[in-house]
Amino acid sequence: MPFSKTRTRITRTLAAVASVAALALILLPAHAAAGLNIVATTSSLGALAREIGGDEADVRVLAPPDRDAHYLDARPSFMAALRRADMLLEIGAGLEEGWLPAAQRGANNRAINSGQPGHFRAADKVELRRSITMDGPNMGHVHEEGNPHFNADPLRMADIGLALAERMSELHPNHAEAFMQRAEAAAERLREHAEKLAERVEPDQRIVVYHEDLDYLEEWLPVEIVGYLEPAPGIPPTARHLRSLVDDLEGTEGTVLYAEFQPPRGAEFLERNLGWPTHAVPLDPPADSGLDGYLELMSTWAQALPQR
Amino acid sequence: MPNHTNLFRPALGGLTALALAMPASATAQQWETRAGERNWGLDISLILEGIYYNEMSHGISEPAGFDDGHDHGHGDGHDHGGFDDGFNLGHNELAFEANLGDLFDGFLMLGFDEDHLDVEEAYLTTRALPGGFQIKAGKFFSDIGYINSRHGHDWDFVDRPLVNEYLFGDHGLQETGVQATWLAPTETYTKLGVELLQGDNSFIPYQGSGGSHTTNDGDEIRSSFSSVSGPRLITAFAKFGPDLGPDHAMQFGISGGYARTWQEETEHGSGLEEWDGDAWFAGLDAVYKYSSGRAYGHGDWRLQGEYFYREIDVDYQRREDQTTIAGNAQGRGKARQDGLYIQGVYGFAPRWEAGLRSEALGLTNRGLPTNEGSERNFAEPSFGTSYRHSAQVTFRPVEPVFLRAQLSQNDFVDEDGDRDRGLEFMLQLNVALGAHGAHRF
Repeated sequence: MPFSKTRTRITRTLAAVASVAALALILLPAHAAAGLNIVATTSSLGALAREIGGDEADVRVLAPPDRDAHYLDARPSFMAALRRADMLLEIGAGLEEGWLPAAQRGANNRAINSGQPGHFRAADKVELRRSITMDGPNMGHVHEEGNPHFNADPLRMADIGLALAERMSELHPNHAEAFMQRAEAAAERLREHAEKLAERVEPDQRIVVYHEDLDYLEEWLPVEIVGYLEPAPGIPPTARHLRSLVDDLEGTEGTVLYAEFQPPRGAEFLERNLGWPTHAVPLDPPADSGLDGYLELMSTWAQALPQR
Repeated sequence: MPNHTNLFRPALGGLTALALAMPASATAQQWETRAGERNWGLDISLILEGIYYNEMSHGISEPAGFDDGHDHGHGDGHDHGGFDDGFNLGHNELAFEANLGDLFDGFLMLGFDEDHLDVEEAYLTTRALPGGFQIKAGKFFSDIGYINSRHGHDWDFVDRPLVNEYLFGDHGLQETGVQATWLAPTETYTKLGVELLQGDNSFIPYQGSGGSHTTNDGDEIRSSFSSVSGPRLITAFAKFGPDLGPDHAMQFGISGGYARTWQEETEHGSGLEEWDGDAWFAGLDAVYKYSSGRAYGHGDWRLQGEYFYREIDVDYQRREDQTTIAGNAQGRGKARQDGLYIQGVYGFAPRWEAGLRSEALGLTNRGLPTNEGSERNFAEPSFGTSYRHSAQVTFRPVEPVFLRAQLSQNDFVDEDGDRDRGLEFMLQLNVALGAHGAHRF
């Protein structure tokens, strides 16, 4: 066997790899100098971060707002965004568990590792409602920590904004005052808007939702969840389940709400058999929105219900 | 031969030192665990699989040109990834995952069926190196290509693509060693990686010195191989993934490897055949995923394809006793072989998907040098191309469970150039229990 030839080949390979790496390091732009580079999993968190960060933050949202944030791929573009991030905001409590850990691991960026100041997990900052998945049969879609869909509750979002401002202040102490002021103003707007919208809704509304993703409406609107279109979380509506819902709710009044990405057939069945109005609503504001986008989303939810 | 190690050893030592030292220095600066952020647990998951297999018509068992000397298929009943007619306990996995703060992730996966328990993967991954670097050390599936590093329950078809199985082995390129990757801080996902691997598997068989073989006549033939210390295999890969918005995602990969030793032997009653040399491979892979935005995967597309080429450059000899070469059965030759597959899967209804896969193996198919005829003349055989076409339908009644029916038509060529078709039906039930980790792209 030709020793020298073999060795030359290995040397060349190593040299090539080293020079590519060196070249890349030289040519690539350094970090965007000024603000915090923030990556948020959902657009609700993105909206808060934009409001609080102002010009001192550059926010990118990973999950398209019209998709189910439970089921995404850990895309290469997610990892590329996380590689450059100073901060990762996630909902937590199992919402992103199917893809975010893989994206974090693939990002090769310690700043956004779980346990680092650059990793902000909103579920740690508020008390969660009990998830219906904790009581039902284990069908693989279990939220052990509680219901992670608290982005439907502006009051909790206000608290999350305050906690987020504190964390951002740790990372950028120079702007701490501005972050805190904006978070407090945002919290006030969220609470006032929630109160105003709640007053306009007819009292004692009953709603059926698709998944447990709108349960938190109970926390700030005069509504009660009286049923789910899914027989168990993560399982599409079955004919038997829908008939039993109709039997239970026959002769009562109410509204059916479901997310835009969920199939409408279950809701339509209830509309035909109960005469209840149905509304497909967004669960998150548009990807590029700030606080105003979230306030508008609140109005959309509230106005899907009968108004005074 | 020992001269070979001069370059590998320092490189390996350096990488390991880097892996261990960097997190330690980073720890000194700042390391705190925040209350309520639970990231210390041990996650365990169990994947169970059952397969019903029915060979509806028998064609040719093995595509020509890929027996690599070691398994001459003398009816030992275990063909590549073969199933028995009827019920089979498929490929089951027990996985453990834990982390040491945010410094290291540890992963252990045991694979088992009725008869075997294997450590499929057991490795540590650094999570705290600066500059976008990451090091993985232990036994793992190489990140070359696309499907090689994925476990069976992430595949879209019941069986491994032919090109991966016949070029890299029943388990793919699965090795013990060290991997270093670097993720560029660019808008377009760009990951570069190098792996130093021990090099002892079907792609790079290793014998070492000291072996011997006794013929039927009672002659002892001592192996002519030299020992070569590891790592004997180096691979490199690059992956690119542009940002194409919310609906589309793509990843392209290019990868290759060089094995500085390739040693294989076949024992016969009348003598010993030996191949001794080196080998390299290179390949391309691409994946495209379309997300329709509808629930339960309805309307989603996944397309994926890979091509790999390998060359084995060896000295060949067949001896009848310690010194006598059989006829003219000696010489130097190159095996050059390749293969590819392309597959597509479409979510035709909520929770239902259907897919097609087309494969070709040995588009270039020059086998290992051997001997032929009663004169035992040195020969470099050439073979035809084998094909396989598969169709599958998969149903996911609940998230962690899938049921898959697959029909595969083999169109293999044998060593004499004869071609025959076989048809196989497979029904696969796969259930994931316990914590299941996030899926990679």
